[in-house]
Formats: sequence, C-alpha cells, structure tokens
Amino acid sequence: MSDLEWARFSNDLFNLALFAYLISMVGYFAYMAFRREPIWVASKAVLLAGLLAHAASIASRGVAAHRVPWGNMWEYSSLLAFLVVLAYVAVIEGAFKVRSLGGVALAFSVLTMGIALLGDFYVGPAPLVPALNSYWIKVHVVAAIIGSSLFALGGGVLTCLYLAKDFKERREERAVVPPPIMGGAIDLNDPPDFATGADEPVGLTEQTGRRGLLPPSAVLDRMAYRTIAFAFPIWTFAVIAGAIWAQEAWGRYWGWDPKETWSFITWVIYAGYLHARATSGWKGRRAAVVALVGFVSLLITYYAVNLFIVGLHSYKGF
Amino acid sequence: MACGPSLSLLRSVALVWRTLRSMRTALILLLMLAGASVIGSLIPQLPNSPEKVFGYTADHPLAAEIYSRLGFFDVFGAWWFSLIITLLVVSLIACLIPRTRGTVRSVRQKPIQAREIDSFPHYEERNVTLPAGAATTVCRKVLRRKLFRVAASENSLAAEKGSAREIGSLLFHWAFLLIVVGAIYGKGTGYSGRAAVIEGETWTDSLAGYDGSIRTGRFFGGDFSGSQIRLKDFEDTFRASGIPMDFVSRVDLLNPDGSLVRAAEIRVNHPATFAGVRVFQYGFGWAPVVQVRDDGKLLWSGPVAFSQDTAPEGVPQLALPWRGVLKLPSLDPQVGITLELWPDGQAFLQTQLTGQPVVMVVARDPIIRFTTYSGPLTDPSQRRLDTSIMKEQAAGILGQGQVVDLTTGRALETGADPNAGLTISFPDLRKYSVFEVSRDNGVWMVLLAAILVLLGLLPALYTSKRKVWVRLESGEGRTILKVGGFAVQRKSQFSKEFSDLVAALERAAGKVNP
Ligand code: HEM
Repeated sequence: MSDLEWARFSNDLFNLALFAYLISMVGYFAYMAFRREPIWVASKAVLLAGLLAHAASIASRGVAAHRVPWGNMWEYSSLLAFLVVLAYVAVIEGAFKVRSLGGVALAFSVLTMGIALLGDFYVGPAPLVPALNSYWIKVHVVAAIIGSSLFALGGGVLTCLYLAKDFKERREERAVVPPPIMGGAIDLNDPPDFATGADEPVGLTEQTGRRGLLPPSAVLDRMAYRTIAFAFPIWTFAVIAGAIWAQEAWGRYWGWDPKETWSFITWVIYAGYLHARATSGWKGRRAAVVALVGFVSLLITYYAVNLFIVGLHSYKGF
Repeated sequence: MACGPSLSLLRSVALVWRTLRSMRTALILLLMLAGASVIGSLIPQLPNSPEKVFGYTADHPLAAEIYSRLGFFDVFGAWWFSLIITLLVVSLIACLIPRTRGTVRSVRQKPIQAREIDSFPHYEERNVTLPAGAATTVCRKVLRRKLFRVAASENSLAAEKGSAREIGSLLFHWAFLLIVVGAIYGKGTGYSGRAAVIEGETWTDSLAGYDGSIRTGRFFGGDFSGSQIRLKDFEDTFRASGIPMDFVSRVDLLNPDGSLVRAAEIRVNHPATFAGVRVFQYGFGWAPVVQVRDDGKLLWSGPVAFSQDTAPEGVPQLALPWRGVLKLPSLDPQVGITLELWPDGQAFLQTQLTGQPVVMVVARDPIIRFTTYSGPLTDPSQRRLDTSIMKEQAAGILGQGQVVDLTTGRALETGADPNAGLTISFPDLRKYSVFEVSRDNGVWMVLLAAILVLLGLLPALYTSKRKVWVRLESGEGRTILKVGGFAVQRKSQFSKEFSDLVAALERAAGKVNP
C-alpha cells in the first residue's frame, strides 16, 4: 500500500474504534445500571474489538509517516485515548477486578478522540522536524502519554466517581452516624504507628454487598490513590526524559518553556497529593480535591499549552 | 528588657528556622514556585519572546508598567523568584537533616520488644512441639531468612522489615535538593548565547562573539574559553513543503591559539562539546558576499549576514525575503543601503505574478533588491538603518554576477567601464549557521540527581514497613507460639504475608499434627 492508503486505512480504523468505544460506553453504563452479566460480556467484546482497531490505526499511522506515531496533537490524542482504555482493561478490570467503571473511562477516551476530530487537530502524516527526531523524545512522549493516561484515570475519572459516591454515602449515613472528623482518616484511639497508611481506604470498608451503581467510596478512593502513585514515577521519568531531550536539542535541560512549566506544576501538585496522604492524614475528600486540581493542571499541560500558548513545544502547526 | 537585642535577634532567627523546618513551609514554597511559573507561562517573557513583550507594552501600557515593576516579564530572573528558591533549599535542608538523623537512628536501633502482642491488628496462636528455647532459635532463623531485622530477648523476638521505604524517601528528597542545587550552580556559573558564523569564517568564544545575545549566570566571572569555531560549510535539506529535514554544520574546533582540536559535524540534537562549552545547531541564514566600489576603489567586500522578519499568520517563514543593511560611512555624503535577498529568483517572480507566497529553500538565480539612501548615518547598529533623515537616491535589482550602479539602480552595460561611479556587485551567496553555545557545569549533577530521584521514589512509594513480634510460652507439655504484627502501609497485602509467615514459623518450630 502507498503511504496515502496507509494513512486512509489508519483514519478508517480510528473512526471504527471511536464507534466501538461509543457503543461499548453505552453498554458499560447499562451494565452499571442493570448488572446483567451478558451486557458486560457484550460491552467488553466491543471494547476489545475497538481497542484492536485502535492499535492497528496507530500502527498504520506509523507506517504511513515512516516514524513513530506520536508527532503531533492528533497522534497524541489518539494514543492518549488508546492508553486510557488499555489501562482501564489492564488495571481496573485486570488488577482491581472492578467492572462497573468502563463507561466513565470510555467516556474520557471518546471525548479525547472527539475533541481531536472536532478541534481539527488532524494533519496528514508527515516526517518530524529535525528537533523532534531524537531517541529521547520517543521515550519522553511514550512516558508522558502513559503518565497522563494514568493521571487522567486516577486524578480525573476515579476521583470524580469517588466524590460522587462519597457524597451519596454521606447523605445516606448522615441520619445514622455522626460525620467523621475531617475525612475520618485518623482514629484518635490508635497509637500513632497504627495511623492509616496512605493507601488505606477511608469510610465504609466493611461494606460487602453492592449498594448503588458504583463500588464503595473507600474502594474508589484507594483505586484513585494507587493509580496516582503508579503514575507519579512515570510522570517524573517523562519530565526527566524531556529534560534530557531539551538538553540535546536546545542546549538547556530546563528553560521554563510553557510546556515544561505546566508539566512541572502538575508534578508539584501530585507530589503535594502524595504528601497530603502520606504525612498529614489528608484523605478522602480533601485529598480528592488536590487530585482534581492536578487533573485540571494536566489538561492545561496537554491542551491549552499546545493550542493557545506558544512555545518550543507547540506542534500543532507542523 | 533584660534580654538585649542580640537575644531577641537570636530568638527571631530561631523562629524563622523553626518555620523553615516544617514540611508545610517547604510545600507552600514549592506551591509558590509553581504559582510563579504559572505567571511565567501566561505573561510573555523577555528572555524567551522579547517581541511579544514589546507588543504587550504597546497595547497595555498601564498593565505593562505594573508587570514590569513586579518583574513579571522575567519571572525566572526576578529577585523574588531567587528568594523562593533559596528559601526552598534552606527549608528542605532544615527538614531533611532531622529526618535523616531519625532514619539513621531507627535503622541502627534494634527492634523493640512489645509488651502485649495480642493487641496488634494481626495476631495468631499455634501449638508447636519444640521447647520454647529451641523454637525461639529456629523462629529467629526463619525471620532472618525472610530478611527481617530481629532482636531477641528470652523467648521473645521483635522483628522489622522495610526500611527501604524510609531510606528511599530520604534519597528522593535529598536528590530533589541536589537537582535544585545543581541547577543553581550550573546556571549561576555558566552562560549561554547565540553565535552566528558565516561559512568560511572563524568565531571566537568571547563576550564580543555573542553580539549581545548572551545570558550570563549571577556568579559567572567572565572567563570565556577563547576557543574558536571555523565553519567550513553549512548544509540544510528541506522537503518541498518547506519542512526542514536536517541541518548540518561542518566545523573545525580550534584552540585559542588557532590549532586544530578536531573536525566535527554539528547537527540538530547532536551538539559538539569542547573546551567546557557545548555547541548546538540552532538556526541558519543567508549571507551574500557583496562588493562596493567607488571609481574602482573597493569600499566594502565581504559577506553580510541577512535576517528575516517574523512571518505573519498563515505565511511560511521561508517564503519571506531576507534583509540586510550595508553602510558606507567614508563617503561624503554618507550612504546607507538596504538590501533584500530573494535566494530563489524564480520564487520571487512567481510571488510577484500570483501574489501567493512561495517557500524558498534552495538558491536558484538569487537576486538582491536594494535601495540606496544618502545622508548622515545616525544608527550605529550593523543591522538597522535609520532613514528618517536620509534621502532615497535609487532602487534596483542586483543579480548574482551583475554589477549595478548604486546611484541610478541600473545595471552596467556590457563593455561599460566597471571602474566608473559607485557600483555594487554580488559575486557569491553563502550561508551562516547560528549556534547556541552554552556552558553549564552543573548538568552532570542534575542528571545524577534525577536518576537518584527515580531510584528513591520507587521504594518510597511501593514498599512498606512491617513489624512482627514472636513469643514462645511453655504450656503443659507443649509450646505456644504467639505471633503479632502490623504493616504501616499496604495493609491489605500484609494479611497474606502474615499468615504465610505464621505458617512458616509453625512448620519450623514443629507443627502439632491434629
Ligand atoms: C522539606 C520538607 C519535606 C519533608 C519533611 C517531607 C517529608 C515527607 C514524608 C515524611 C514523606 C512520606 C514518606 C513515607 O511515606 O514514608 C514524604 C513523601 C513525599 N514527598 Fe516529601 N517532604 C518534604 C519536601 C518535599 C518536596 C519539596 C517534595 C517535592 C519535590 C516532596 C515530594 C514528596 C513525594 C513525591 C513523596 C511521596 C513519596 C514518598 O512516600 O516518599 N517532598 N515527604
């Protein structure tokens, strides 16, 4: 096939994947509501088909462009959406064995892909400008996209769900139990060594039977923390790899370019989040707010800097 | 007051120190750093985009005045930014010293025996066959084999595991400090600037070599290396669309005395390092060789580095012509010439005919459009010509190899006397290469620290500290094995580890078959 045909093939698969994600998203929401096994099986099947098509779309884009397929906003958006879905399948369904959150993770990906379509990010596959043609940028971008997908999952999706569920639980509990002190993390009767670890859930741990559409808030809280703690070193690595690339390309590893600045801000906020949980016992809602602030900063790093703030990293025009 | 000023000074120093020692202060400072960088990313910055700052100043004079007073146009060079960084460093050190001491102490210290082990979150009892003393010995071995640190006292064991978390966390924090220190050291004692070198010419690493485009660190003493770079040739390759593919500068790197260090190729992402500086490919431009003669006497001969205006929205940068000026101060009246190079003469024609911009990436029949002005040369700059009090004399077009009369703008006829009048010619078209030259002796420190940050982060986030106590009590004809313990972090994983441990201890101490 010619490059043009490969590019077209990639676009068709992209649309196919988007379509599959949409259907699967509806299915997952239905599963959340009705909890019927066959709905989950069908949604998961469509999801996997979409994931496969998406992987092929990304690969054929690489073939069409004769390079790794992450060189501009269109390609980043596609890869980000792909990795969020992949992380959902591997981490949330695979490791945490929670099935009910597919709709939300897919909604994030559908949104990302939709914005890429509507926002006219598309540019034909073209070779990179020489500065982008470095080993380190490949490493940097892969790590940054994996890190962002995980932050988006933990700091965005899971944290929002946690807050929603927590709100609902508190409304139900309020009549029965007095509210816990400040997120209820610290039991004053415990000797200090027993103070809950950063990854420990707060709230209703004992709850066994499912109530409502979502897992208990304590489970969501822990999943959010674990996902963010998983993402943090990857993001750290991404920033370091980016600095190494900047040193190679421009002779300075750090120049406070807007993209660098905002990825640093995101890093600081999530470092603050980890601190809040590890040392000052800020758990539950307060920590969730910090995670959400981090998510907003991530969105700025990802979208606003590329599209509105001009710097060395503005790729859209290429 | 009884306590003199020195004591109250001491007290306030102690208060400041105590404030700096708290983690909250460090985190607030870190957030202030982040906040400052938000400002820096939203308001145009002088070092990065001076033209935007000037544009902003013209559009919003009042806001610009306020911003400039506050240092918002150069956030990362402002005194208060340095202050935040300094306080952060001090605060981090103040935080880390006691924490490090505490960790060293706790790693050295033997695990402490517990009084009542059945009150721990995890607790199990088993009957075993070995007598208490012997069972204690084998249990200790089991714990040792599982990498616990164990302290024994009379049929009781106290064991701990997972100092990696604390040590990793400390490593992370110290390494982060080292990044900041390395950056301050490297940037503070170094410099960076742009050097434009025309093909065939030699450039010297000295203050003059940077033509004003240099940023020096606060502690830089002016000791430039004096080393030299001779640009043998510059090559660029483009796609037809104007997307650059590669830039290569072939250079000789020379010692200050002019002797050759080595030849090198400098290209994007492949800098050359020598004499303590790193030289990066940054940009390029055209440098036509121009000769001006006055009645045959050579007034100027040599390459002139031309530069481009910034392209308006929607126009490719390389479709724009290149501009330069030439000044002839020795004439009376003085003469200044503005020159406009179109490296691709065919693109020039096409642009004239269709009005569409055409990207020029190779030299094809290059032409120079010029305008001659006469009058006093007031602007000392080599790049600009102030024509406000000069008189336009002539304008014309100069092709490569032609000789053109500067006063009429017309080319000399073939056979006309080449040595009559004021003439200009354009025998050759060269390129110049722009290098970003920088000296930063802190890079290795920052890189090392970055690696340590990652190395420390992993155990700090993913391991946990666990404590276990074992007690063996002699009962009637049997021994009771009591095991209690807890994990400080990752408690859910600990349940399994704990029951495995109890099973292993029971097996070692002689399981009682039911
Ligand atoms: C200056 C005073 C600081 C103190 C006393 C301090 C203390 C701590 C403590 C006690 C922990 C928890 C360690 C554990 O869970 O075992 C921690 C974690 C952490 N700190 Fe800090 N910290 C300080 C500054 C900073 C700064 C400036 C940063 C950001 C660069 C930072 C980033 C982190 C991160 C990412 C973690 C989570 C990883 C870990 O658990 O070690 N800290 N810090």
